[in-house]
Amino acid sequence: MNRIPFRRAAIAALLAAGVCSAQAQSTLSDASALSLLPVAISVAAPVAILSAGAVLTVVAVEATSAGTVWVLERASDGARASVRLGARAAEGASALVGSAVVVTAISTGWILSAASQAIAFIPNELGAALLYNERITR
Amino acid sequence: MRHGCLIAALCAAGLALATSAQAGRSCEARPPSASAVARSLTLAEHTAARLDASGAQVVALARAGQNLSEYGLRYSHFGLAYRDGAAWRVVHKLNACGSAQAAVYRQGLGEFFLDDLFQYEAAIVVLSPDVQNHLLPVLRDNVRVAQLNTAAYNMVAYPWSVRYQQSNQWAIETLASAQEPAARTRERAQAWLKLQGYEPTTLHISALKRLGARISAANIAFDDHPNEKRFGDRIETVTVDSVFEWLDRSGMGGTVQVIR
Repeated sequence: MNRIPFRRAAIAALLAAGVCSAQAQSTLSDASALSLLPVAISVAAPVAILSAGAVLTVVAVEATSAGTVWVLERASDGARASVRLGARAAEGASALVGSAVVVTAISTGWILSAASQAIAFIPNELGAALLYNERITR
Repeated sequence: MRHGCLIAALCAAGLALATSAQAGRSCEARPPSASAVARSLTLAEHTAARLDASGAQVVALARAGQNLSEYGLRYSHFGLAYRDGAAWRVVHKLNACGSAQAAVYRQGLGEFFLDDLFQYEAAIVVLSPDVQNHLLPVLRDNVRVAQLNTAAYNMVAYPWSVRYQQSNQWAIETLASAQEPAARTRERAQAWLKLQGYEPTTLHISALKRLGARISAANIAFDDHPNEKRFGDRIETVTVDSVFEWLDRSGMGGTVQVIR
């Protein structure tokens, strides 16, 4: 197993802050744009499991003190990956158990999707540099 | 944090035709499509590369979240982006899902574009060296970026009132306070903006549309606008396009650069 740590634990803030909606946009001034998408904090997996087009199945969603762990299994050979996300990723995630997950590789990381909906993003170093979330005022 | 996304999405349409009463409806969390995430992150990556190449330390950065062509506008929202070591961060004000409140955030370019964008297009205006020098320490300082923030949010806040504050308004008032040390209050920042020739966009919104929008959304109000303008269907507010024009006209920023 090859462990891929990501330097920016702050990524977890995306989830820890309870971020919401990607859908809201205001007309003229702005609007909320906090991403709904869970971002992986770390991944323990054979590297090749995150290849483009790979089809995985969510076999378990485990809540831990360090966040939520999704266990993914590759259909072709049973190889497994553990993706650790923030605690908020547990919300509704149990419904994903048994779902087929498709891996899309982009230059900044990997997008996991189920039924064409993105369910998580696993950033590489380039992607991690693009992610940061800090609420400054209450 | 409450999710008021659907409301805000309705508000987007709201100025045009909101008549249904959606106020108070909670945000419907709908996951983005994989392709939307890929396009947003690609735009973030391209923007980072362009910003790196610009040599700038501080820029105004805008996104196109809505089709505003009806109003003659191209961009919906902007923040102040600055270099933080090898990465870029954007300080901007966000309205939490259609509520009447908003807060200031510091985010990565990824979060800035991870949105339901109307067009996968960004715009930057490189600020003049003088403005960059004044803004950079402000953007790094959580106390100073919060100094002129008003939590009460109104998407079409009147630019010369302090009752509400929308996102673009926070950004130019913060720029004003960075440029003019005496502008420590919103009133003074607004006075400085007037003095420097900033002119807001005038939207022509009928009474019927105003009524519908006000009923349907917590984050739209018109009671901060002067009666003679409001009842004349003239709603002035701070838009990205008006700010970019002003930055160029005043020499405080360069021309708009589009990134796709």
